[in-house]
Amino acid sequence: MAVPVNPNTINSPFRQKKAQPKKRNNPLKKSRLIDYLDPKFLGRFTNDQGKILPRRITGVTALQQRRLSKAIKYARHLALLPFVAQDTR
Amino acid sequence: MTIRRAYESTYVINAALEDAEIEAVSKRVNDFITENGGQIVEENKWGRRRLAYPIKKKYNGFYVYMVVELPVDTLTALERFYVLEDGILRDLTIVLDPKLREFRKVRAEAQAIRAAQLAEESK
Repeated sequence: MAVPVNPNTINSPFRQKKAQPKKRNNPLKKSRLIDYLDPKFLGRFTNDQGKILPRRITGVTALQQRRLSKAIKYARHLALLPFVAQDTR
Repeated sequence: MTIRRAYESTYVINAALEDAEIEAVSKRVNDFITENGGQIVEENKWGRRRLAYPIKKKYNGFYVYMVVELPVDTLTALERFYVLEDGILRDLTIVLDPKLREFRKVRAEAQAIRAAQLAEESK
């Protein structure tokens, strides 16, 4: 039998010991193709240093993450995306 | 007879060159492809863009994207040609994904419609 969860206790400050990282639900449709020539789109999956974000933060599927990382690397080769963002140097 | 396959090829020309020289470089690439039994299906010149990081101390590049049908054995020759060509800073040739090409077309159309709508609203 499922224990009914009191909605007040979930968000209660006394219950939350660890800060949960924000996970976005379904940032991309499953069928969304990943275009390596679209730096604006790929840039959403890198941090401000230019690093590829882990999927634990972006919430994409494993398959999408594999395609994304490949696409980002192609885009970096063509100088569409930076390896290291210049502002943080 | 060798197999021909569709590839998508993007290369970056040094944008510090004169327009006529850029034109000459892209013409040399196109001639090289046709001479080696290839065929250019689509060519799209994006024009000058700022590079995300300097390459050979250049900050701007002229991007050319194309879809090519090439005999499989001339691919290495094309890649070598890119390297030997002085005006070209970067190149990338990969097997064309027809789905991706379709997807790009659909998106480009959608963007054109959106741009048209924005233009109308601002009137």
